Amino acid sequence: MTQRSGWKALSGTVLATLLLAACGNSTPTSSETLAADQTIRFPINDDIGTFDPAHQSALVDFDFAQNIFQGPVKFDNAGKIIPDLASKWDVSADALTYTFHLKQNIKFSNGDPVKADDLIYSWNRAALAGDAYAGNFSPIVGFDAVSATPPTAKTLSGLTKTDDYTVVAKLSAPAGWWLSALALGGVSWVIDQKVVTAKGEDTWWTTPDGLVATGPFKMTARVPKASLDFAPVANWWGGSTGAIKKIHVDVIADQASWVTKYEQGGYEIVGYANMSPTAEDILRYQAGTHKAELTLNPSVRSSWVGFSFVKGPFAGDAGKDGRSAFTMAIDRAQLVDVACAKGAQCTPATGGLIAKGLKGYLGDGADSTSKFDAAAAKALYQKWDPTGSKVKGLKYTYNTSATNKLVAENLQAQWKQNLGVTVDLEALDRQTFFSNRDKKTYVLFRHSWSADYDHPQDWFDNLFTCSAGSSGSGYCNKTMDDLVTKADQKPIDQSLSDYISAQKMMIADVVGAPLFYSIQPYLVKPYVKGAGGNAFFDYYWTGLRVLTH
Amino acid sequence: MTRGTLIYIIQRLLLITFTAVAISSIVFIGEHALLPGDAFVSERPHNPRELALLLHHFNLDLPLPQQYQLWVTGVLHGDLGESLVNRGVQITPLLVRELGTSLELGAAALIFTVGVGLTLGLFAALKQNTWIDYVASSTAVVGYSMPSFVIATLLVLVTGKLFYIWTNGAFYYEIGWGKPTQILVPAIALGFPYASIVARLTRASMLEVIRQDYVRTAWAKGLRPRIVIIRHALRNALIPVITILGPLATGILTGVVVIENIFGIPGLGKEFIDSILNRDYNIVIGVFTFYAALVGLVNLGVDLLYPVLDPRIRY
Repeated sequence: MTQRSGWKALSGTVLATLLLAACGNSTPTSSETLAADQTIRFPINDDIGTFDPAHQSALVDFDFAQNIFQGPVKFDNAGKIIPDLASKWDVSADALTYTFHLKQNIKFSNGDPVKADDLIYSWNRAALAGDAYAGNFSPIVGFDAVSATPPTAKTLSGLTKTDDYTVVAKLSAPAGWWLSALALGGVSWVIDQKVVTAKGEDTWWTTPDGLVATGPFKMTARVPKASLDFAPVANWWGGSTGAIKKIHVDVIADQASWVTKYEQGGYEIVGYANMSPTAEDILRYQAGTHKAELTLNPSVRSSWVGFSFVKGPFAGDAGKDGRSAFTMAIDRAQLVDVACAKGAQCTPATGGLIAKGLKGYLGDGADSTSKFDAAAAKALYQKWDPTGSKVKGLKYTYNTSATNKLVAENLQAQWKQNLGVTVDLEALDRQTFFSNRDKKTYVLFRHSWSADYDHPQDWFDNLFTCSAGSSGSGYCNKTMDDLVTKADQKPIDQSLSDYISAQKMMIADVVGAPLFYSIQPYLVKPYVKGAGGNAFFDYYWTGLRVLTH
Repeated sequence: MTRGTLIYIIQRLLLITFTAVAISSIVFIGEHALLPGDAFVSERPHNPRELALLLHHFNLDLPLPQQYQLWVTGVLHGDLGESLVNRGVQITPLLVRELGTSLELGAAALIFTVGVGLTLGLFAALKQNTWIDYVASSTAVVGYSMPSFVIATLLVLVTGKLFYIWTNGAFYYEIGWGKPTQILVPAIALGFPYASIVARLTRASMLEVIRQDYVRTAWAKGLRPRIVIIRHALRNALIPVITILGPLATGILTGVVVIENIFGIPGLGKEFIDSILNRDYNIVIGVFTFYAALVGLVNLGVDLLYPVLDPRIRY
């Protein structure tokens, strides 16, 4: 061993030991020897949309930004809510007052101290911006005035401070889901007002010197639509930033070249930032000698067939047998085989409409409406519609995409084969499809949802309650609504059983025909540890490490 | 440069500007008035205020004539606006950078095209009906018959994957862009079909020229073969080749759309596809504007080459 390599090995061992003590979420072992070059490289297919927390909505943006920004609370890799900028938080007995006690040593990456005013500024700014996730502040008193058109107030009246490190949020009604929404980040992340003012409201985050936040990593270079580079913040206020010294991201649209470059040693990971290798590559790895490098994780997306409850043959109690027949007639294993490249990109949905891996998932096989039984389906269908008049001219409507087309064509074939029903297909552009679906125009249609945060409230209030804006079906069950309204007000550990009961009501009412849950694949080199993700996001970069290889 | 040439260049530049603005205006109006959907469509419906703020930010809440006026004013000031999808990304510097990348690739492909095409054509003509002619002509036929995306995919497979495996990582084409070694394989993929055209044309042209009386005279004078072939024969044989350089260079520029996407090169061609798929209309218009101007400029450049090779041509 040369002197240089001896030093590398020694420093690697020391670093590994330090990591063992420092990283809560990662689990390095003392036997690990870190490589001298702690660089992680991975590809994405398009540049990030925005790093401005007030405007973020894409999963890819969140996967980066969660390493740059922080809010009072966050999810750990296991999905548990833990303190982040707050040392602790209190909730009043009536669940209407949340008090966040901020840590007193927090600093932005430019050295500016973080105080209660920074959090209040960031939240007010995001609420006033009115973008996709501004509604996360809807429980706070005064949100209606800030979100009015035009706004009648510029700040949330229910958001105040009692001292430089204590923020109090008064809610207009209990909201048990609120901490989950805050923990996801985005609008709840804290930014530096001085920087935003100096660099410009719209552009402050676009350059490395403008993208100032409190998290363990910072952007060091960005070539728009070509590459991004990140590095740990020196002397980060939170302590250790982990082993990684550089993250390099290439923007390359062609998925096939990602894996070629991965196999050339050009990338350590493929799959971070909500990206996916091609189905062919996934299948090749599943069948090959490098199978251990591939992990298939549940994702946050669920897809199903929607039935109209307001018009057409499937509406109301009279349409229930028809809905049951149509869902029972779908062989999900075949569907996944055909439409998701033999299951490389999704798995059959058998545990309810809430996606696998999220709070509220009922468990594999728990949804009786997803069981395939062609004979029973046909018998039920013939009892419901003996003359075939109810389904005459029936159309399945979807928005055009390669996967949606495969799904639609397979459903059409299965309904024809298993029920003897001819269903026409109607493919529409996204704008027309989504707009009309929100107006409950379609009788039989494609539906899907990606969770905004890990709480069943997100699904029920957007999709399944009587007033849900993205329902598409017009389903309305007052008993279920009451149950959900009560559950929404309680903390998740007390409300989960209510949400599960509500889902069982939906199964009894056959609200939709579950199809599949999406999968997030990861290809990770064997010498990279701490990589992967949960159903919601990639594991934090602080836990990544490259071993000698 | 003569006064006539200068006037010709100015006239052509004005025409190119007019063409670029006209083409991008058609795209602008087509996108805004005819196409359904926009970059803001998502499964999660925007609340009306959020959508209003977005539209206002990009001037999309203004009447179409006013939007057009603002856009034309911006274009004439070199400002193509901001990306609808990637917030904060200014389009003009983005496309200028990407144009540079595409020009690098295009220039490398053009050098390959002319170099390899001329060499193959020349040897095929000089060694007519020998094995050299057959090999060169067959290579040209293969290149001429295969679309560049097939060649590109095969090259990625062979040089990117198989070479890596066969040489255990010692010698291979590294996917990506930025290193000098990364330009060769995409340039070959892009230039090979065009090199085949040049080769066939050069061979035919040379075969015709070397039978001319003045070439025979040159041989009879006892000139060295290199002088006869290069100075007397090839120079005249090049005229038809130069004639197709315009469409050929344009073909290479448009060909980068396919090649850049296959090789993951961050150029104008990749942007062309990405922006359409993302419905990033502002960038789509910008790319069209750049391409229109670029094609015009390339053709102008080729036209200016003619007088250099053929003194009879004057502007």
